[in-house]
Amino acid sequence: MMPDPIRLEIFKHLFASVADEMGVTLGRTGYSPNIKERLDYSCALFTGDGRLLAQAAHIPVHLGAMPASVRAALDHCALFAPGDLVILNDPFCGGTHLPDVTLVSPIFVDADAAASLPHPRLYPAAHTAASPHFFVASRAHHADIGGMSPGSMPLSSEIYQEGVIIPPIKLVEAGRRNEAVWELILRNVRTPVERQGDLAAQMAAHTIGARRVAEIVARYGLAETQRYAEALLAYTERMARALLATIPPGEYTFEDYVEAPPGPDGSPGADLPLRVAVTISPEGLLADFSGTAPAMDGNLNAVLAIVASAAAYVLRCLVATVAPAEVPMNAGAFAPLQVRVPPGSLLDARLPHAVAAGNVETSQRVVDVLLGALAQALPSAVPAASQGTMNNLTFGGRLPGSGQPFAYYETMGGGAGAGPHPPGAVAASGVHVHMSNTRNTPIEALEHLLPVRVERYALRRGSGGQGRCRGGDGLCRDLRFLVPVTATLLTERRRRAPWGLAGGKPGAAGRNRLLRGAGQAAAFQDLPGKCTLALQPGDVLSIETPGGGGWGEAQ
Amino acid sequence: MGVPAPTPHTPRPHPTPVRLGVDIGGTFTDFVLIDEAGRVRLHKRPTTPADPAAAVLAGVDALGFPSDPAAQVIHGSTIATNALLERRGARTALITTAGFADVLEIGRQNRPDLYALVPQRPPPLVPRQWRFELPERVSAQGEVLLPLDPAAVQALLARLQAEGIESVAVCFLFSYLYPGHERLVKEILEVGGERSEDSDLPVSTTHLYISISTDLLPEYREFERTATTVVNAYVTPLVDRYLDRLEGGLSPRPLRVMQSNGGAITAATARRQAARTALSGPAGGVVGAFAVANQALRLAASATPASPPGPLSPRSAAAFLPEATAPDIITFDMGGTSTDVCLCPGQVPFTAEGEIAALGLPLRLPIIDIHTVGAGGGSLARLDVGGALTVGPESAGAEPGPACYGHGGQLPTVTDANLVLGRLHPAHFLGGQLPLDPAAARAALAPLAVRLAGAGPGETLPLDALERAAWGVLQVANAAMERAIRKISIERGYDPADFTLVAFGGAGPLHACELAERLTIPRVLVPRAPGVLSALGMLVADLVKDYSITVLRLAAGLTAVELAALFAPWEAQAQAEMAAELGPSGPAVQLQRSADLRYEGQSFEITVPLPAGPPDPAALLADFHARHARRYGHSHPGAPVEVVNLRVRAVGPTPRLDFEPLPAAQVEPVPLPRQDVWFETAAGLVSLPTRLYAREALRAGHSVTGPALLVQLDATTVIAPGWSGSIDTAGHLLLSRSAGTPQTQAVAQETT
Repeated sequence: MMPDPIRLEIFKHLFASVADEMGVTLGRTGYSPNIKERLDYSCALFTGDGRLLAQAAHIPVHLGAMPASVRAALDHCALFAPGDLVILNDPFCGGTHLPDVTLVSPIFVDADAAASLPHPRLYPAAHTAASPHFFVASRAHHADIGGMSPGSMPLSSEIYQEGVIIPPIKLVEAGRRNEAVWELILRNVRTPVERQGDLAAQMAAHTIGARRVAEIVARYGLAETQRYAEALLAYTERMARALLATIPPGEYTFEDYVEAPPGPDGSPGADLPLRVAVTISPEGLLADFSGTAPAMDGNLNAVLAIVASAAAYVLRCLVATVAPAEVPMNAGAFAPLQVRVPPGSLLDARLPHAVAAGNVETSQRVVDVLLGALAQALPSAVPAASQGTMNNLTFGGRLPGSGQPFAYYETMGGGAGAGPHPPGAVAASGVHVHMSNTRNTPIEALEHLLPVRVERYALRRGSGGQGRCRGGDGLCRDLRFLVPVTATLLTERRRRAPWGLAGGKPGAAGRNRLLRGAGQAAAFQDLPGKCTLALQPGDVLSIETPGGGGWGEAQ
Repeated sequence: MGVPAPTPHTPRPHPTPVRLGVDIGGTFTDFVLIDEAGRVRLHKRPTTPADPAAAVLAGVDALGFPSDPAAQVIHGSTIATNALLERRGARTALITTAGFADVLEIGRQNRPDLYALVPQRPPPLVPRQWRFELPERVSAQGEVLLPLDPAAVQALLARLQAEGIESVAVCFLFSYLYPGHERLVKEILEVGGERSEDSDLPVSTTHLYISISTDLLPEYREFERTATTVVNAYVTPLVDRYLDRLEGGLSPRPLRVMQSNGGAITAATARRQAARTALSGPAGGVVGAFAVANQALRLAASATPASPPGPLSPRSAAAFLPEATAPDIITFDMGGTSTDVCLCPGQVPFTAEGEIAALGLPLRLPIIDIHTVGAGGGSLARLDVGGALTVGPESAGAEPGPACYGHGGQLPTVTDANLVLGRLHPAHFLGGQLPLDPAAARAALAPLAVRLAGAGPGETLPLDALERAAWGVLQVANAAMERAIRKISIERGYDPADFTLVAFGGAGPLHACELAERLTIPRVLVPRAPGVLSALGMLVADLVKDYSITVLRLAAGLTAVELAALFAPWEAQAQAEMAAELGPSGPAVQLQRSADLRYEGQSFEITVPLPAGPPDPAALLADFHARHARRYGHSHPGAPVEVVNLRVRAVGPTPRLDFEPLPAAQVEPVPLPRQDVWFETAAGLVSLPTRLYAREALRAGHSVTGPALLVQLDATTVIAPGWSGSIDTAGHLLLSRSAGTPQTQAVAQETT
């Protein structure tokens, strides 16, 4: 039976509200600046068999990656009981990189709860079935998860250096927290109190999500709710297929690079190719990454979930060109997508590969090559390359006075790529692009919390690529440290600038520099895109982020 | 088209001065006049966009409002709002700490639309070439690291004048800890370096308007503070000129202006801090709704046991507003393009996290916590590519408007759906001034009906296909409203079942009963004049001034004495400034304290009011933990708590709303001819013969039972089957769900 268009729209609101309400709760009760100020998290609702049903529009890189977490929880932690909660961050088992800690909760609802409005019971006492009706999940980037450097985004060569690895395990079993697991995790991180607060915020979000699902089922009944869950998956798939039908069938290829760090001997790092062949056919979109570089010694390796995320994100952006209304992001968007990565490649990380930057940097390049290929098919829709990096900076040390350790993580926006769609669009400057959308930490919050001083926070004038449509400008951010810190930079597009399209010029490549010592006349020294630094009080780190590529010949 | 309220009356012992509330809307300027005896007069006239003051002054004349210093005009101005939306503000410059001129443009570095292929942001209100930096720096501890050189400010003044700058915003880093540098800039720019004798209000000899962040918002977070200061600088010159003209025209009548926080300020203050009026439009509606609910509550409570049994007896009054001393209401203001909802748990709620959504700009001044959805009577309905029926956010706007207006609209809107279902009467819309065209509404909905019915070419449609489509449009619109109300109630720990829905705006009373049912809200209140409630809100707005300061201290170390000492300077300033606003014969100033608290490490604060008297830090903390638990479902009584901001609100009370009573009903009301209206019942979507009344013909004590339709000049009220209610002595309509029609019935029907 065809779904009722009216009820379809109503359920669109209902399922979205679950993810929305979870997100509000997590953001408001989180403890670390990375969660409370930068909103580096996502919340989602899944069907009982682990298909994404609704996701709050937060961080795109979490999009395609969260289903892998729920899958892993299903594979490793079934059977489930009401009150269970699974925790994981293992990139090779449902995670992407270690700081992203994901919680997954099964939801059991009382199919006969209709009489108990407005606060239905969550878990019917007599429930015996072991198969959950739904799942909710939340993923948050934790500012430290242990490992070799504060902030857990090190220049690592194997995953064991990146922090504590948490395979899918039940942190809470039938409502009882496993104190041994909890203690083990907290003993392996630098800032346990903050971790505790952030994990509590994630759990609070799950409570809200589960309550909301129970209310929906109480009102509409389980069968109807599940029927419209399926209908909405089919709806999004129809939207995605409607978009694909507008793309001329054929094969489109593109190539771009990520930048390996310099070798220990000081030799310049290699540029590692990412290659894609996108095939558009009546079956859907196949992205084949054959020809991509093999996995590397450093941390730019990515797991398949990240590639899936990037592909789903690209498709979802294109859907917006044919459907202006609110389209739920769910598993339906993945249905016409097929992704192939060569075994052992940069996009097929395996134990013990390091992966810290795969999630934040390589993911951006996967988007770039997909868009680069599709630009040939859809020249009037696809924009030039955006900054293509998140400009990750982590630093840590000890607070003056108390001597307490601290760890801090931030990422920086840059220039958006220019494009012809919609007509007259002006590419934004100083924004996060594609796979990230985290906010900045206010300077007045940062300096209040940590012994650091921001000396400049400005747009990088003229860094956007020239063209008929100009690329957005990057950012400049100068930080002076007031105590000794260990800082790590994980940045891309320092050697290979974001490309222009249709005759537009590339944006300026990014640049990292260091000024040693206070008040000296010493000039800035250039830093590589990826490095770990022992900094002294008075040292200034200066980061200039890339501009976006221009589009069209300048007139 | 004045609508005189019915007479007769007895004069009151203490007459309150005659007052006039004026609200400028996009199409109409609304007037509500209340005289010494509590008699109310309404007036509506077309807005004069080119010179909004013209309509105001014409209305004042038409109403014969006395030209007397005791006759007060309270005005909701859209000048600031429109200047922002249309970007017609002053030539504005921004002065920042060296290295930070771009903070305004970078914002929080996020993009508003996650999936836009080319992310875009609205251009900043101050372009790059007018953003200037001055060398100065204050640390996070408030120490001056780099003093500001007055000569640099002098040099900048020349540039500002050369550029023809009219208004200047100044925002330095950490100025809330050390305001000295911002004040120095203000002094120099205002008098061109000549020290002023009158340090309070130096007369600007440079003809520049100066807005410094610490005067407006001495709170941390540099982008939000900068943006708020810039908004103020951008709109102040326009508002100043507008109010100058209006004050001149109204003289000697005193003029007050509505603020976004639901309070009024004197025109003199509004002319300097115009940003405080930028979101004032919807605020009047909430204040009006709250006053009306208060009045209904008082009337219900004062009805004596001797009065005839009926909806106004104390027992049913208790059922209507249980155990309330102040009303618990959810306001529902549905207009043409958008709908505003606000949850008032015994008080009007405030937030300091407002934003001017169209510009993506935060406005961190206290405003009424109103949530807006982009769906209203004019919202367009359509079937999207994936096969879902969507309503809004696109709107038919004022022109062409809904298809049934007959101004050339072809696409179906929510208003067309209401007309097709018989919920609007073609001859009684806007008091009959705008005859509606049912054929046009049916024609606009027909293509949708065909697709919804799934009929192939040439196939016959079911007889009720059009009505089913119209009902679908209303259901989808109601789902969007429901989601908005859930956000402000359930998401914040409140159960809608404990609230009364106050429905107003042109379309609110059309949708209220069915929306209430979706949310298990048991009661609906439709004010006597639902279409001009904003103007009524202006009449009852207290004079309000807000003060705040960031302290960022751990609550644990804070004693009662210290807390009092932190409040003291702001209270002294509030007391003095308020006394000046009120004048010598004004009412006594009331001061209300509150504090923004959070767990140490969190970044969102909860505002906790402090009772009058010596502050009690322990009680403050206990209250914070309780509020955190209510809002977020958990609290940590052992964890350290930070006091982030302290707030002082100074209130100069306005006489409460006291309408002259409506005459009591002597005979049954005379209905107009019945009309067929479609409702969803246990039997499905059916057409029911429905009584139609002119609202003006209803007297105090009259009761109405659904299905029924009430038409009046400014709105139409739909009373759904299963709902009934009565008119109180002030003329408000109180509706409740009748026994025996539980909400589950509708649910059971829906789920089959």
